[in-house]
Amino acid sequence: MTLRSNVAAFAGRSSYWFLHTFMKGGSSLPGKITTKIDPEILKHLGQNYDVIVITGTNGKTLTTALTVRVLKQKYSNILTNPTGSNMEQGIVTTFLRAPKVKGARPIAVLEVDEANVIKVTRYIKPKAFVFTNIFRDQMDRYGEIYTTYQKIIDGVALAPEATIIANGDAPIFHSKNLPNPILYYGFKNQEEKDIKAKPNTDGVLCPNCQHILHYRYLTYSNLGKYFCPNCGFERPELKFAVTQIADLTPTSSEFEVDGHAMKIEIGGLYNIYNALAAYAVGRFLGVTPEQIDTAFSEDKKVFGRQEVIDLDGKQVTLILVKNPVGLNQVLDMIATDKKPFSFVGLLNANYADGIDTSWIWDGNFEKLPQLNIPAYITGGERYKDITFRLKVAGVPDDIHQVVPELKDVVEKIKTLPTEHVYVLATYTAVLQLRKLLADQGYIKEGMGA
Amino acid sequence: MTYELNVAHLYGDLMNTYGDVGNILALNYYAKQMDVKLNVNVVSLDQDFDADQYDLAFFGGGQDFEQVIVSKDIQTKKRALTDFIEDGGPVLAICGGFQLLGHYYVDAKGDKIPGIGALDHYTLSQDNHRFIGDIVIKNEETGETYHGFENHQGRTFLGKDERPLGNVIEGKGNNGEDGTEGAIYKNVFCSYFHGPILTRNGNLAKRLLVAALKRSYPDADLSQQEALPIAATF
Repeated sequence: MTLRSNVAAFAGRSSYWFLHTFMKGGSSLPGKITTKIDPEILKHLGQNYDVIVITGTNGKTLTTALTVRVLKQKYSNILTNPTGSNMEQGIVTTFLRAPKVKGARPIAVLEVDEANVIKVTRYIKPKAFVFTNIFRDQMDRYGEIYTTYQKIIDGVALAPEATIIANGDAPIFHSKNLPNPILYYGFKNQEEKDIKAKPNTDGVLCPNCQHILHYRYLTYSNLGKYFCPNCGFERPELKFAVTQIADLTPTSSEFEVDGHAMKIEIGGLYNIYNALAAYAVGRFLGVTPEQIDTAFSEDKKVFGRQEVIDLDGKQVTLILVKNPVGLNQVLDMIATDKKPFSFVGLLNANYADGIDTSWIWDGNFEKLPQLNIPAYITGGERYKDITFRLKVAGVPDDIHQVVPELKDVVEKIKTLPTEHVYVLATYTAVLQLRKLLADQGYIKEGMGA
Repeated sequence: MTYELNVAHLYGDLMNTYGDVGNILALNYYAKQMDVKLNVNVVSLDQDFDADQYDLAFFGGGQDFEQVIVSKDIQTKKRALTDFIEDGGPVLAICGGFQLLGHYYVDAKGDKIPGIGALDHYTLSQDNHRFIGDIVIKNEETGETYHGFENHQGRTFLGKDERPLGNVIEGKGNNGEDGTEGAIYKNVFCSYFHGPILTRNGNLAKRLLVAALKRSYPDADLSQQEALPIAATF
């Protein structure tokens, strides 16, 4: 350890202590101070850890949390970074505030922003990388998914011996020849056909020959057992696989991985992918399937909760939507509710929502009329856009109320014909609605669980 | 339904940014009200565009990588698409689709990507800047006002046979300089509008459908279709 690193770490730890004690915060400032004094501080801080880097567009946070739970079944010293601290400074802070480790070599499970992978691997050689998926976000620029993956790969190039644990159902993760050992996980649960992804799906070009990929089956978006009829490029052999889906509800998922029954207390197919990724890391590090099953079932808090609000007897589930892939997953998830439900769509277009509402046309609202939903409400600052979207999707006018003001939406929800109500809302609409509900005493202030 | 129209969704599996598929959904929505059944086919890589088989074509925008692939493939359809356009076939082209119907565009990396030159415009790039925001234009011939959302790096300059889709009232338009937005040539309508353009501007959807009906059903009485009232959606 150099004198400089020592000074830097001391300064960082002191600032963390100060901020934490007196300012009730401080997740990136200590990292900033420390890296200012010693830009190579991560090398010093991370050298005693086996590091697992988890990156990708969606699912990083839950995959990281589940991986930590899984590894705890076998290992005692595990460090992880809190949500939102997935850039360089936040990661430095995570190491800085870790308690001094005695005994076994500790593991650090780190959620890392895609562009920050290289900032970590410049100083730390991880034991493994986990790639969840890469999707286009509504705010993104052209060329996004390929440039995003390139950023990740640039970081991985500095750690050619690390094992990559990747979503094998995503064609992009099979598109480059890398020196690293690679283990793929994915779904092996459906009958094989010869189909194409929906025309409106992103990332369906064969990385080899640029023809349109076909699939033996799809799970969602462009994920599935893909193959190229032109050049023979195909999904690689899976090392870990979901072999059966047993039961899905909006709040739970039962499935089998490599033949072992598992249950997680959260709905949504995408969350099964997150659990599968955590399973793969666990197996890679010698955790048994039984221990993994225990990890999934014993700590339900890890899943957070889809927020359910009791509104004078209505069970209202409030769900944030921000891009088409996420929206489609939410629609698939609410479709698994075994009870009848009503649908509320609230659209804003402030900066935090994305100022362009075009993305709603990429969402598969056409699914809604097939679900026998007895009542719909649309509202929010851009209620005209979301109202017309549902009209075009085929939602009948006689069961569709247009209610621009959120305070009126709250009152209308109380009169809906079903006990279950799903409210899909963009970011600022969620905040506004929560504020209203908090003012009326239905919930506590804040962003919620 | 009384009428049927075949719609070619050009490269619908590759050119589909920013909700452009909503244009197909909007065409379908208004077609139903006009007693028209739409049959939509994606016409993509390695497939022929049969000009005789289609009554209407839609061509959306894509990501850089996909657009380069499309620019190569579309050369094989250049003849058929040009014939369709010259014969008065109605086309709606947005963003990258708009650019590829012209002579060429320069992409973000500075590479010159060939179009098919069916229309007489070309597109340059701008350094590290995009035109992003709400836009309103007015077509002086029809008096129609169109609303949309633009998000493009390209700066397009129209040729002498083209008229703009409208003059910019608010926003940037084709190039931020000459006050034009989009292009009209025969029955081809081009624009940078997302939003998507037809979901916000039902009157343009109607215009396209009526043009397709008139061409494919020359003897039909389409007065009812032409009189269809379009409610504001935006």
